[in-house]
Amino acid sequence: MELDDLKNTWTNMNNEVQQQPHLNTEKINQMTSSKYHSRIKKIAYPEMAGIFICITGVAFTLFNFSKLNTVFFQATAVVAIAVLLLLSAISWISIRRLNVTGDVNKPYAATLKNFAVQKIRFHKLQKINVTLSYLLLVSIIILLPQFFSGKDITRNNSFWIFAFSIGYIFLSFYSKWVSKYYSNSLRQAEDLLKELAAE
Amino acid sequence: MDKKKAFITAIQNNEGLIYKIAAVYSNTIEDRNDLVQEIIYQLWKSFDSFKQQSSISTWMCRVAMNVAIYQLKTAKRKVTTVPLDEQFSNFHDTENSGFEEKLQLLRQHLNNLNLLDKGIVMLYLDNKSYEEIAQITGISETNVGTKIFRIKEKLKKQIIKNYNYGTR
Repeated sequence: MELDDLKNTWTNMNNEVQQQPHLNTEKINQMTSSKYHSRIKKIAYPEMAGIFICITGVAFTLFNFSKLNTVFFQATAVVAIAVLLLLSAISWISIRRLNVTGDVNKPYAATLKNFAVQKIRFHKLQKINVTLSYLLLVSIIILLPQFFSGKDITRNNSFWIFAFSIGYIFLSFYSKWVSKYYSNSLRQAEDLLKELAAE
Repeated sequence: MDKKKAFITAIQNNEGLIYKIAAVYSNTIEDRNDLVQEIIYQLWKSFDSFKQQSSISTWMCRVAMNVAIYQLKTAKRKVTTVPLDEQFSNFHDTENSGFEEKLQLLRQHLNNLNLLDKGIVMLYLDNKSYEEIAQITGISETNVGTKIFRIKEKLKKQIIKNYNYGTR
């Protein structure tokens, strides 16, 4: 099938829709009402749940901060709070970007360029997320026994083995898996940018 | 004619085009219905910016294709869809299998193209002139011609490859 055969198929598809038109005045009115539209935009529940968990984590750490009696534990708590706030900020930025529809009157190539740039930025954010998650994991493992039983897990040698060997191995496998998962779409975004730059 | 009436008439005259664009840029019927709604909402929001320098269908094409790209960001993350009503949701499921069959055929060929080529081919299939394609996409008319030539070659190679694979 060549491009001109596809053209016939495309034209015939028009007939299929025209045989049974279904965008009547009432439906178009529904679709253009902002009240209705706002219901369609509820797409960010996982991100919102993530933000809620992070903020709860920050509140819990601050509430129990007085139980941390050494500088090391206090510094770890500060790191955990900073990471939780950063993760919340990243999620919040993601939600805002998702909900923004840019100028729809722009040329298609300009929209595509913007789309490819956003996609590459998203991949960079994913990498930062993985590293932050590792930091958070280690700090939570240090802090939780302190909070609940006053136990200092850092005196246990197996903790350090876990945090800096098994934990690191997990992190490298996880980040490789994330990169592999997204590599195809990242390559497509980069190729698209190259092609648009050549226009 | 008031603004809303003019808009509704324009939408009804270009209903087929809107559905086809939504169909090309989405993978499921739910996504397609959501995209149609989003396109119509965005068309209404920016209806005042239509300056009649181009035809209404050219303007609608540009808006619809841009909205489709913006929607790609959310397609994989969507957790709920809001069908208008049963009749609307089921339109392509049961009563219009001809549309779906043709769509499948188109997808087989278009899904191997990148988003820029996909957009250009779609406009070419819709009998848009090189000038209109250039207006919508923002690339020069000469480049449109070159690209369509290359896409034709690519499609031919793809068909030969598929044929060889099928006869092995």
